[in-house]
Amino acid sequence: MEENENMTAERSLEIIRESIEQSRRAMTKYSGMPMIWWGGLVVVFAVLIAYLWKNHGGPVWNVLWFVMALIGMVGDKLMEKRRESVPKNIIGSVISKVWATFGIFCCGLGFITCLAGFGVLSFKSLTSVSGCFIPITSIITFALGMASTTTGLILKNRVVSICSIIAGIGGFFLALCYPGGEQLLVMAAVAIIGLVIPGIIVNIQTRK
Amino acid sequence: MFQPLNPLLHSELRLAVMSLLVSAEEAEFPYIKEQTGATAGNLSVQLDKLSEAGYISVEKTFKGKRPCTICRITPAGLKAFEEYIEALKSYLNIGK
Repeated sequence: MEENENMTAERSLEIIRESIEQSRRAMTKYSGMPMIWWGGLVVVFAVLIAYLWKNHGGPVWNVLWFVMALIGMVGDKLMEKRRESVPKNIIGSVISKVWATFGIFCCGLGFITCLAGFGVLSFKSLTSVSGCFIPITSIITFALGMASTTTGLILKNRVVSICSIIAGIGGFFLALCYPGGEQLLVMAAVAIIGLVIPGIIVNIQTRK
Repeated sequence: MFQPLNPLLHSELRLAVMSLLVSAEEAEFPYIKEQTGATAGNLSVQLDKLSEAGYISVEKTFKGKRPCTICRITPAGLKAFEEYIEALKSYLNIGK
C-alpha cells in the first residue's frame, strides 16, 4: 500500500472496511490457545487428582489445583512472549478480565474450602441450612461455563457459546450427582467440552 | 453539498493506519507494517506526519533488548477520523 491521495470515496470506504476487518481477524487469531492450554491443564490435573483422591489419601490432593494455577500462569506468560505482535484492544482486555475474575473467585473459593478441610475454619461456615457441603466442583464448573460463554459472546462465536452453556449447566448437575473423587472426572469432561473443543474451533476458524 | 475531505487522512496508507488504530488500543510498528503491506521507510514517514498532526502518539520503547515502536490513536485523531467518515457520507450520498 503506497501513498495514493487521489482516491474515490468508495476506495476510502473499502480501505477502512478492510483495515478494520484485518484488525479484528488479527485480534482473534490467538484467542483459542489459552482455552486449549488451560482446558488441557484442567483435564490432566482433574484426572490426576481423582486418581490420587481415590487411591492415595483422599481429598487433600485438591491442593494440587493451586499448583495447576501456577503452571498455567507461567505457561501463559511464555506463550505471550513467543507469539507475534498483536495489538491490544478492548476485546482482548474484556476477555482477560472475565477470566481473571473467574480465577480470583475460584482460587478464593478453593482457599476457603482448603482452610475448612484442614480444620482452620469452622466447619459450620461451610454448611448450608440443610447441613450439606458447599458443592465446590459444581460451583466452579458453573462459573467456568459462564466465563467461557461470555468469551464466546464477546468473540461472536456461536459454537463456543453453545459448548460452554452445555458444559457449564450439564457439569453443574453432573457434579452434584457424583460426590467424591468422581466429580473431578465431570470437571475434566467440562474442560474438554467448554474449553479444549471451543479453543480448537476458534483456532481453526481464525486461521482461515 | 460535498464536505471537504481531510487531506491528511485522504491517503491510502495513512487512512489504513488510522483505521487499524481505531479498533486497537495500541499497535506495534511490525504489526502495522504487516497489515498495510507498506515498506518500513514509507510507513515511518506517514507515521511521522500523523504524529506531527497530533492524530497518533508514537512511543519508542524496548521489548526485552529489542527496540519497539508503539502507536496509539489520540482523541484528536479519533475526532478527525469521525469527521472524515462524515465527510465521506456526503460523497456517497448516504448522509442525512
